[in-house]
Amino acid sequence: MTQFFQQFINGLSIGSVYALMAVGYSLVYSIMNFSNFSHGGVIMFGAYFGYFLLTIYKLPFSVAFIGAALLTALMAVVIERVAYTPLRERKAPYLYFIISAMGASIFLENIIIATIGPTFRTYPEIFSKTPFKLGVLSVGRLDVLMFVTSAICLALLIYIIEYTKIGKAIRATAYNIKASALMGVNTNVIIIIVFALGGFLAGIAGVMFGMKYTVYPQIGAITLKSFIAAVFGGLGSLQGAVVGSILLGIIETFTAGYLSSQYRDLIAFALLIGVLVVRPMGLMGKATEDKA
Amino acid sequence: MKRRLAYLLSFLLVLTLTLSACGQKTTTTAGGADVIKIGWMGSLSGDQAVWGQCEFDTVKMLIEETNAKGGLLGKTLQVVGYDTKGDPQEAVNVAKRLTGEDKVVAILGPNASGSAIPIASVLEAAKVPDIATVATNPKVTVMDGKVKPYNFRVCFIDPYQGAVVAGYAIDILKAKNAAILYDVGDDYSQGLTQFFEEYFVKKGGKIVAKEGFKTGDVDFRPQLSKIKATNPDVIFMPYFFKEVALSANQARELDIKATLLGGDGWPSEQLISMAKAAVEGAYFANHLDFDDPEVQDFKARYKAKYNKDVELNGYLVHDAFLLLVDSINRAGAADSQKIRDALETASITGITGKINIGKDTHNPEGKDAAIIKIIDGKYVFQQKYAAE
Repeated sequence: MTQFFQQFINGLSIGSVYALMAVGYSLVYSIMNFSNFSHGGVIMFGAYFGYFLLTIYKLPFSVAFIGAALLTALMAVVIERVAYTPLRERKAPYLYFIISAMGASIFLENIIIATIGPTFRTYPEIFSKTPFKLGVLSVGRLDVLMFVTSAICLALLIYIIEYTKIGKAIRATAYNIKASALMGVNTNVIIIIVFALGGFLAGIAGVMFGMKYTVYPQIGAITLKSFIAAVFGGLGSLQGAVVGSILLGIIETFTAGYLSSQYRDLIAFALLIGVLVVRPMGLMGKATEDKA
Repeated sequence: MKRRLAYLLSFLLVLTLTLSACGQKTTTTAGGADVIKIGWMGSLSGDQAVWGQCEFDTVKMLIEETNAKGGLLGKTLQVVGYDTKGDPQEAVNVAKRLTGEDKVVAILGPNASGSAIPIASVLEAAKVPDIATVATNPKVTVMDGKVKPYNFRVCFIDPYQGAVVAGYAIDILKAKNAAILYDVGDDYSQGLTQFFEEYFVKKGGKIVAKEGFKTGDVDFRPQLSKIKATNPDVIFMPYFFKEVALSANQARELDIKATLLGGDGWPSEQLISMAKAAVEGAYFANHLDFDDPEVQDFKARYKAKYNKDVELNGYLVHDAFLLLVDSINRAGAADSQKIRDALETASITGITGKINIGKDTHNPEGKDAAIIKIIDGKYVFQQKYAAE
């Protein structure tokens, strides 16, 4: 029984990292209908921003944390301007956006390798590594922080989308970009805001990831799993991305813990494919369009 | 126009051929009738140049020393060395040149498995034996279950470390239950795991958990939680330092107190900077340790001559040279075929440990490994240990 609860805690903790990353995919997909594969690279930059603000500029943690998130948001907007705006202006097919996104992702990874180097770096120890004790269970301090931060960020994001005027505009744009433009919504600004929001969360996810594990140029590869989680939950739905991520974290953990760690990915992902066969729109997705 | 281009191209072709033909050939000691020519190959340029240079310098130094003592079989030794640039194709070319043009009796090197594997067919055609230095991949001497007749080596193969660590854990650390966490997507990790498991069980130990992860994973808590429930004395972690650091930290976070064990993928500055507290008191196996008393004499001689520190490769090429000299002596003639036959039954004591060449594997069987313990963030040599 101890193991069951410990594995549940492990799963929640892994899932909350996926969730922070997954909402970025969902946000962009809901507006622009394509999977923004450069998101992984942006998260990786977030991790490096946080690392350098903490180690070189020696900023206090809270300042570095917010600073990294803001820089990453800026970065996401720049990528949108450079890699996607020209395509949008020419009304290019969605496939071209995906290719451009993949290109951006490879570019981001390699620019880090070329300038900073491929070796991994370690965040200074900000929070003690000694875990909290709940009887025989142990819960990492960082895990609690991550879970709480993820929850606050996601709640804020959902509040912005559902209850503010900007959120209304975002939802309208997601529903129909042309009609919203005709109704006086400045869709260009909306797209920038969406990328900034996604980038801000990517920055937070990157710093969290860096603190919890380590910083290296291939962090982007891990976000592939959060993308799958987003599809599983229903691309385009924020709640779906969160639920999908937490579920994926728990499924993975329990597969490794109770079935076989050697076949973890095989079993976990076969299960996901099974779910998508029955519900192609994902758990909470509304649209049934292709999830390219 | 086409014709002119053809002329130009053929001119360039001839030019490159001549240039490469008179390229980086390096010899010591003038030739003559009473010389024994041995070949050396390795990287003198590229990212492995430091190691290749050290090997070549070592060979040159040892040959000078041997010649000063009267040479071998009454003849003077001479070395012909070429740069493989760390490139497998170039290694094949070099092997062809050494055997075909320079007619060496045997070859020392190369240092990399990638270069040592493809030269087998050249050696077989020319019937010249080769002793690789730090090529640890099993395929260097044995391919598809069959031993390659002319390939030998002085280092132990990667997976053998698994057996060493298993034996050490049972004999010295008195461990009874072991857990293994390994990378399912990596040959190195799988090989070490297989040897560890076989040997640990053979010596009366019990494997209580065997969990896998995949290259690129960063979270090992699900596997570690499962391992924790089986309460092992030791956990074997046969993979590289990044994953070692992450998994060691997470193990301690989950309050696992077992002793951690590993192989030569461990030593690195990064491991200590990232997981100093977590890997404290852990043990791992390595080819040799620079603090081992038996290597000190060679280390000092090399330092006196070149005013540089010896790299790992220097120690192993030292023993490759000893092995070759021993085999030439026992063969009684500088004849490639006889040297090859003598190599198959060689048994010498080198500075890196006992080297008993196995007839079916051409590897040094049961060779000593260095056991190193992490104490206070430092790598401290414990002892040599071999798995029989």
